Amino acid sequence: MNLLEIRELSVEFPAGEGSVKAVSRVSFDIREGETFGIIGESGSGKSVVGLALLRLLPANARVSGNICFAGKELFFLKPSELRKIRGKRISLMPQNPAGALNPALKNGLQIGEVFERRGIEKKEGMKKALGLMKKLFLQDPEKLCGLYPNQLSGGMRQRLIAAMSLSFEPELLIADEPTKGLDPEARAGAVELFTKIKNEYGKTMLLITHDLDLAHEVCDRIAVMYAGEIVELDEASKILHSPGHPYTKGLIRAHPRNGLVPLSGQSPSRIKLPEGCFFHERCRHAAVECSRRHPEIQNHKGGRIRCHLQFLQ
Amino acid sequence: MRYFLKRFGFMALTVFAVCALTFFLMNAIPGGTAELILKHTFVGLEESATEEQLNQISSRYNLDDPLYIQFFRWVKAAVTGEGIGTSYVFRKPVLYLLALRLPATIQLAGASMAIAVLAGVSLGIYSALRENRISDHILRVATLFGVSMPCFWVALLLILVFSLKLKLVPVAGYGSLENLFLPAAALSLHSMAAVMRVTRTSMLETLGQEYIRFAKAKGLPLRKIISRHALKNAMLPVVTVIGFQMGNLLGGTIVIEKIFAWPGIGSLLVDSISARDLPVVQGCVLAIVSMFLLVNFLVDMLYTHLDPRIRYG
Amino acid sequence: MDNVFADRFRREGFLPQLGEYGGEFAKRVFQRKDMLFALAALVLFAGVALFAPLLSPYDPNAIDLKNKNLGPSEGHLLGTDYLGRDLLSRILIGARISLSIAFGVVLISLLVGIAAGCAAGYYGGLVDECISRVIDIFLSFPGVIFALTIMGVLGSGIFNLMLALSVVQWARYARLMRGQVLSLKKQEFVLSAVTSGAGDFHIIRRHIVPNAIAPLLVLATIDLGHVILSIATLSFLGIGLPADVPEWGAMLSAGKEFMRTAPHQTIFPGLAITFVVVIFSILGDGIRDILDPHHEGGEMY
Repeated sequence: MNLLEIRELSVEFPAGEGSVKAVSRVSFDIREGETFGIIGESGSGKSVVGLALLRLLPANARVSGNICFAGKELFFLKPSELRKIRGKRISLMPQNPAGALNPALKNGLQIGEVFERRGIEKKEGMKKALGLMKKLFLQDPEKLCGLYPNQLSGGMRQRLIAAMSLSFEPELLIADEPTKGLDPEARAGAVELFTKIKNEYGKTMLLITHDLDLAHEVCDRIAVMYAGEIVELDEASKILHSPGHPYTKGLIRAHPRNGLVPLSGQSPSRIKLPEGCFFHERCRHAAVECSRRHPEIQNHKGGRIRCHLQFLQ
Repeated sequence: MRYFLKRFGFMALTVFAVCALTFFLMNAIPGGTAELILKHTFVGLEESATEEQLNQISSRYNLDDPLYIQFFRWVKAAVTGEGIGTSYVFRKPVLYLLALRLPATIQLAGASMAIAVLAGVSLGIYSALRENRISDHILRVATLFGVSMPCFWVALLLILVFSLKLKLVPVAGYGSLENLFLPAAALSLHSMAAVMRVTRTSMLETLGQEYIRFAKAKGLPLRKIISRHALKNAMLPVVTVIGFQMGNLLGGTIVIEKIFAWPGIGSLLVDSISARDLPVVQGCVLAIVSMFLLVNFLVDMLYTHLDPRIRYG
Repeated sequence: MDNVFADRFRREGFLPQLGEYGGEFAKRVFQRKDMLFALAALVLFAGVALFAPLLSPYDPNAIDLKNKNLGPSEGHLLGTDYLGRDLLSRILIGARISLSIAFGVVLISLLVGIAAGCAAGYYGGLVDECISRVIDIFLSFPGVIFALTIMGVLGSGIFNLMLALSVVQWARYARLMRGQVLSLKKQEFVLSAVTSGAGDFHIIRRHIVPNAIAPLLVLATIDLGHVILSIATLSFLGIGLPADVPEWGAMLSAGKEFMRTAPHQTIFPGLAITFVVVIFSILGDGIRDILDPHHEGGEMY
């Protein structure tokens, strides 16, 4: 059963005369209990998708499309209804744990406020949160609550945020770039953390990352985004071991373990997107057709792919 | 603790330097001090002042000693609590005069600062929340004029409208609450505009922070987000500006007190300067500088209190 | 886009690049409607100040007691004051006085500030310690009060006023300059000049001052407005300029006695002050935005 259905999601930000097309016509489903990954370079629009789900984009963003969560249209919800979903049924683990914690407030308060006005006794909630923190490898959580965020290490902050996000046992957990900016040790810890969340809590997760190792460890299915579009979507093992799209191939070759071959060129300007396939200027296999007609995403070998070449051959 | 000692040391140094500066400056006035005193004491006698009279006064006030000895004597008297001189005009101890005038100035400056901070902060928040709407634009233009209009002109306009035309409040005077309205309003306008401006900018910057987004993702209502997460952080630059503004405000009291016949230190200073009543000028400067330093000290304490990053940096 | 431009300015210095990026800078000024307006107003205003004697319909000091305290009319566009002097002519001449004093004060403070800031930042050590303490002391009490005291000693007059206000203003430039010099001193082009054996004065003149000047110019622009306010305040209190000089603050002070019957004497000079200060505020803020969009804007002091 699908927990989340996203249809034709587009996001634009006005910029000067024109607008930046951050996300264009993205559609995918997340099944209950699975871990769905979105991978892509930074700036591919993957984080915007995550924020759009909870309607957390800046006010000047122009969003269109439909998002259906457990039978509810998220874009039609009143603010009060939306608040009931945020943090309780869908929670977000933001990028950059350092920035996501308010430097002026004690950790305990920032955890405790998750339970406010939620029909849960605050004490009981805190008890649960403390237990959760212990489970997530945080030692001495009571003491942590009395400290300020800048007194914690990067890894600790991330666990703290994970504890906040999980404390309501949300139906869907969105993790936005959980390994970005962490040192190798903390990164390894994060991989461990997510494996644990996945195995012990059996949560439905949307994992947004550029970290292929993490995706490999925890994702069931993966969507690859390029220039605001999904270019390939399939089982994780298929994407990572036998990718179909030239961009995915390039991304995997660029991974240190596979020889660190960087992709040549740059992502296209998102204010004025190129004609034809958005990737054709960087694609080693580009045919004439690729620069003329923008490919649609199509079913292919059990997954979905947006490439003319797969069908020309 | 060491910080506070250092801080107090610097405050004492500043007060001392300012006193020395004014003392030597004031005594550099052309025309002997004895002559001045004589002029105040026996009105109409200055033409016929005899050598003998001058000598008498000189020895009474120890004016024949070198300046630095006079200054040293003054400092000694001030430190031991003996007093800080006697007014030539009023023939009363300066401390007595200051004590008489201080409450009025504190009342006026305090009321103005309170208005400036309360109105400035709330309007600034409102303006930030309505960014780029019409009300925001109107408020921004208003701030521009608020910081550009001379406060004495504002005071005159207020008198013109509220006292002369509408006859709502008395033109000048001291004692009742209705006397306080116009001077406080005129004096606070500039600081209010400055505070509002900083609040707006800082609020906008804070609202763009990731922890605000995360707080939204937690499902907190907007009011809570602003009051708990945004306000405390956004207030940091505002607190600094309040310290700066205190100087402006104290400078402004001089003109405002003069216009409204407000019996405070400011009008005392202006009168004493015109009358060349040196000990009183010295005393007024001392009082104003001390007030200013004290407020800034309090502001810094507040700042440290608000920002845990400084406390546990 | 904005950031690239500002970064370039910050990295490579303002003045050395002015030739190369001057056009870009001008373009950005013209893109902003508020700055365009302020610039036009400033040109108009400077023109008025420059040609005031030609423009003013009457002799600003001609006393005409038969026509005193007149409201605005065709003969006297802004009315007359308590001695029957034409208000418009006095305001026009007043523009000249305020602007020239303000420019003088800002120039003196700028020069003194640059010199003190360079000395403190470049030589460091005891020199820095001493200058910094003095700067701190000057910045740690309300300037108007100090200026007032100095004026009390010196007595009114244009030169004394300039002196008193400069004494109050220089410290802020010095502090800003010192910070700039400290950060520039670590930059490679200064280090290479030092290693190549260039003299201190040469390094300061050629490498440090041109690269450090941009923020000081922003401060100077905004300061022009503040200084005009201070001049008016002191004159209003009767200790700025002699009473017969057509200065806006002094005109307000004289006019307030007749507020009941001739309020125009209170309104027009104040409008003139506000107008000028607004212009300099807009210009200063605009230049700062263009040069440094990351600056936490809104901070006025």
